Amino acid sequence: MFKLRYTLPAILLLAGAAIYFFGSQPAEKIVRVDMSLREEVRVPEPRPAITYAYLPQYSHRVSYLRHSKLIDYLSRESGFTIRQVFPDTFEEHRRMVEDGEIDISFSNPMTYVSIAKSGARAFARIIEPSGSPTFRGQIITRKDNRAITRLKDCIGKTWIAVDPLSAGGYLFPLGLFLKNGIKESDFKEISFAPGPGGKQEKAVLAVYAGKYDFASIREGTLNVVRDKINIDKIRIVAETEPFPGWVYAARKGLSDNVVNKIKYCMFRMSMGDPKQAAILYQAGMRGIIPAEDSDYDPVRRLTEELGLNIDYGQQGGLK
Amino acid sequence: MIEIFSRLRFRTKINLGLTLIVAFTSLIIAIFVIRMSSDALIEQSRKRGEVLAGNLALRAENPLLSVDLLNLGSMVNELKKADDEIVYAFIMDDQNRVLANTFSDGFPVQLKEANQSENNKINIVTIDTGKKRIFDFAAPIFLSDKKLGTVRIGLSRAGIQSVVQNLIFAIFALTGAVLLLAVLLSTQFARHLTFRLGSLQKHAEDIVATHLGPSLRKEEAKDEKFTDRFKRAITHPPKGDEIQELNNTFDAMGMSLACHIEDLQITEADLTRQKELLKTIINVSPDFVSLLGPQLTYLAVNKSYAEHLGRTEEEIIGLTDEELYPSETAAARMEEARMVLKSGRTVNKETREPETDEFSARWFHTIRVPVHGQNNNIIGVLSTSREITELKGYQAQLIQSQKMESIGKLAGGVAHEINTPLGIILGYAQLLQEDLNPDEQISKDIEIIEKQARVCRKIVADLLGFSRQNESEKITMCFNNSILEVVQLVSHTFKLEQVEISTELDDRFPIIHGDPEKLKQVWLNLLSNALEAIDEKGRIHISTQLDTNSMTITAIFADTGHGVEAKNINAIFDPFYSTKPVGKGTGLGLSVSFGIIKDHGGTIKAASPLPRPLRRTLNLPENAGPGTLFEVTLPLDDLSEEEQA
Repeated sequence: MFKLRYTLPAILLLAGAAIYFFGSQPAEKIVRVDMSLREEVRVPEPRPAITYAYLPQYSHRVSYLRHSKLIDYLSRESGFTIRQVFPDTFEEHRRMVEDGEIDISFSNPMTYVSIAKSGARAFARIIEPSGSPTFRGQIITRKDNRAITRLKDCIGKTWIAVDPLSAGGYLFPLGLFLKNGIKESDFKEISFAPGPGGKQEKAVLAVYAGKYDFASIREGTLNVVRDKINIDKIRIVAETEPFPGWVYAARKGLSDNVVNKIKYCMFRMSMGDPKQAAILYQAGMRGIIPAEDSDYDPVRRLTEELGLNIDYGQQGGLK
Repeated sequence: MIEIFSRLRFRTKINLGLTLIVAFTSLIIAIFVIRMSSDALIEQSRKRGEVLAGNLALRAENPLLSVDLLNLGSMVNELKKADDEIVYAFIMDDQNRVLANTFSDGFPVQLKEANQSENNKINIVTIDTGKKRIFDFAAPIFLSDKKLGTVRIGLSRAGIQSVVQNLIFAIFALTGAVLLLAVLLSTQFARHLTFRLGSLQKHAEDIVATHLGPSLRKEEAKDEKFTDRFKRAITHPPKGDEIQELNNTFDAMGMSLACHIEDLQITEADLTRQKELLKTIINVSPDFVSLLGPQLTYLAVNKSYAEHLGRTEEEIIGLTDEELYPSETAAARMEEARMVLKSGRTVNKETREPETDEFSARWFHTIRVPVHGQNNNIIGVLSTSREITELKGYQAQLIQSQKMESIGKLAGGVAHEINTPLGIILGYAQLLQEDLNPDEQISKDIEIIEKQARVCRKIVADLLGFSRQNESEKITMCFNNSILEVVQLVSHTFKLEQVEISTELDDRFPIIHGDPEKLKQVWLNLLSNALEAIDEKGRIHISTQLDTNSMTITAIFADTGHGVEAKNINAIFDPFYSTKPVGKGTGLGLSVSFGIIKDHGGTIKAASPLPRPLRRTLNLPENAGPGTLFEVTLPLDDLSEEEQA
């Protein structure tokens, strides 16, 4: 039945196949490295450049993604080397502007008001995605939270806010509450989004997850988290009055030449140009317009009215 | 190699085969399993490295952007601490400057360039440090289209290798155990199998030793018949597997064979006996029995026929008539046989075989019958031939006798009638003779008439004698004397013809009861025949021999004449048969002598040429003729006591 002349080749074939498969390893790239050759690692010195910082209301990643193209554009157009730096907190941002580590600050009006005290001066402001050069704060809750339908329903509830220095994310809504006679002590708890960056998103996510009853966020944030959560399940309880939008400020002592060139480049940007439109779109703005320090007096007035101490160390606290 | 293998015991072969199969299979499986497992482990390790590198790259984004070196440093150090297999981890910026690493005493210079990630995929290379091999994962950190930096992780392969080695060891240990188990099982299996095969072999050996069927146990009856054992084996076979069944079948076959062989032996003995019987019957028969096949070749012949043809039976079988007979005879015989084969008719005929140097013409009565096969077709011709020469001779003699009797009666009648006028003619011739002067011509003429009349009366007397019309008078007489008297009478005349007569007579003077005159006539006839046969010089020898056992006396007349041809030897006693020219003889002499001897209750025979011993006895010259011998045997008269003594 088993003839040798058939069996033997079959066995040899099988053995050959086994050896072939045993030997056929996936292609492996081997690099010889002499580990004994070593060198000391030096901390790289940053190259001299005009530093640009985006108030860390979002994660560094989002900050970078939003502004990297704009910075590239400004560098290209102005001829300056511009480098984006990433402070971890609002306070760090403010400090770095004061210390001159940030030449051009892009911050919210509240932070600007704070840094303006150290000599920083506003020179441009943005047109919001809504088309308006102003923005508002929003109080949001889960759509299925029936306990909160009006502003007053927030009393005795837990509140997650972005940052004590966040304008749209805390101070504007706090002003709204105070105007409506609701004090900070009326809430069961006021928490701020933890960690550096990404604070707006964290606040939305905390409400979405049901961890807090309501949150205060900057207008436009819901669009940012659209791809992370189902924003249909979020309901806007109330919105604050509009305040001037985010502002570009030059640190104290930055040469006017630099400021002027950057201003020039910024103001030249138009949504009519597809390339520039893409840059603006990515940066979450629809244009950059000139601004002056006086544009932010309403914000100053608000802080005064509220008696807010917007300095670091007494965040959110009433004077 | 194959020879050595074929010489191995079957048990060893099974063990060897099973061991080889298990070993080979285990080896193949082991090779595949080790390959697949190690591949899977390596693949797993690579994926793990990719995940770790990817994770680190993701986590390093923010610290990298904020140039948080402390954070980056703690990230890589934590990662290294968390996993023993991680040899190193470091993070480079977009200009390949190392921002954080896990090396405590300086950074390996060559390591930076060892692995370059392309695009935004994780690139893997194997780094050979000379002491060990490391999987190096390079995960780029991309944001938007910009590369922020690269995360590098080195994963030791030692762990994987040790796992693979453990796996190899486990598989080989398992293979060894399975092999051992297989050998043990196969040994048991082979023992079981070979036990049955051994039993089968034993039975086969028994068959070879002509002990068909399973060998008998001691308690079983040795003289038990195979048939009974066969029946028992069929009805109560031992239970078992296929080999046992084969064993049973083999036993049954052997016993069945034994039964058949028993039957065959009986049948064979029976057939042999019948064959011998038939052969004896056929061989004993004096007839020529032969069997021809469809190709007219001899299939069988009996002894008589073989002797007749002067060959052995074995020589004849397979030959045809063409090879045994002269062409003419052969053609005739074959034509006959062909006809029998074709028509199926029986041939029944008498044939005369022409004379040869050795034998005179012989007569045969031949019967040829067709031999029918199973389908009633003719498959051969059976011939029986019986020599009937003697019968033919008797037939001829009978006819001759009847003829002789008729002639005798006729001649006797005629002679009787002629005798009277002849006597008258003779009487008147004598009367006239007395009246005439003997010198006269007429007297001389009458004398011639008288002489010729006497010759006639002699012929008539002979005729009467032949027909035994004249009754002989038998008396007691001396056999020798009657011969001597004749010899004395003719010896002188014969001498003149230069023929010498010698005698050698039995001196016991045998006495017979016969007619002396007629016997003398016989002797005279024989002597005168002998004289005529001798052309010039010659010799005639006469001898007598008394045989007291058969109570006969034999006289032998041998001459040195020209003899008688063999074919004529039986015809010489016929009346009127003569070799002499016309006018020299009547041809009645020998037939008359035959009649006289027969009348005396004896026999007369002739032979030619002379038998060799007799020629030597007579001391005949070499140039003497072949000669003729006449042997006359007569019964003796009752011998006196004196004579017998």
